[in-house]
Amino acid sequence: MQADSELVRLAQSGDQLAFEALVVKYQRRIARHVARYVPLASDVEDVVQEVFIRAFRGLHSFRGDSAFYTWLYRIATNAALTFLRRAPFEEQMDDSDEEGSNSFEPGVSDHETPERILMASQIADAVRQGLARMQPELVDALTLFEVEGKSYSDIAQMFDVPVGTVRSRIFRAREALAKRLQPVLAPQRDRRW
Amino acid sequence: MSQKISLLLDSQLDADDVARVLNDLSADDALRDRFTIYALVGDTLRGVNVPDDGFSTRIFARLRREGVKVEDGYNPLA
Repeated sequence: MQADSELVRLAQSGDQLAFEALVVKYQRRIARHVARYVPLASDVEDVVQEVFIRAFRGLHSFRGDSAFYTWLYRIATNAALTFLRRAPFEEQMDDSDEEGSNSFEPGVSDHETPERILMASQIADAVRQGLARMQPELVDALTLFEVEGKSYSDIAQMFDVPVGTVRSRIFRAREALAKRLQPVLAPQRDRRW
Repeated sequence: MSQKISLLLDSQLDADDVARVLNDLSADDALRDRFTIYALVGDTLRGVNVPDDGFSTRIFARLRREGVKVEDGYNPLA
């Protein structure tokens, strides 16, 4: 099955929820990419919003010749470079000159707040602690898929297990980490999808 | 159902299942939250561990507010 093909097909037919699922899936990766070109965090959010608006409007032009993420990535590059060409150079600079002001901060309308820095740290800690207490085969399945980009069938072959076992291991790993993350994320529940 | 959410995130569902799971997602806040957290887990493992902070919902609000539609002939790469 081609990655995202069914969600994309539904979104192309006007199913906004399918598109929203794609946004949730890729928003951080696209924001990180945009932040390589756009220095100010507040501008990163504007550009990323523009990327997803353009992508939604242009869904019919996506033919599936590449992965959906690759297509989004190209839209993001164009949008970021367009932003750089249009904005006067001085306005792209951060007047406050605070350290880290050009770091990746999707969803932040101004500079990073101490609360968000703390939450990002708590998220990383919760995931690390969750991984440390997990069975190694669950850790391997999840990290091979999410970090190394291996497919379910690749992982099944590597460990000589059925694909169904890989499905189950990845799910169980995510579920264990989700349970650790829920208390950390609870304050923001009303602002999530 | 959460396992189906995990499989949806990984593009491992067939067409019928995707439609069914989306239908469930539309009616269940807790399932949508699970999907969001699963996505965050992957991003955290890749080193992008930032809270959502309403970022995606602001995009969805803008899509609705501006009445953005899928347009024939619009090329976002042009």
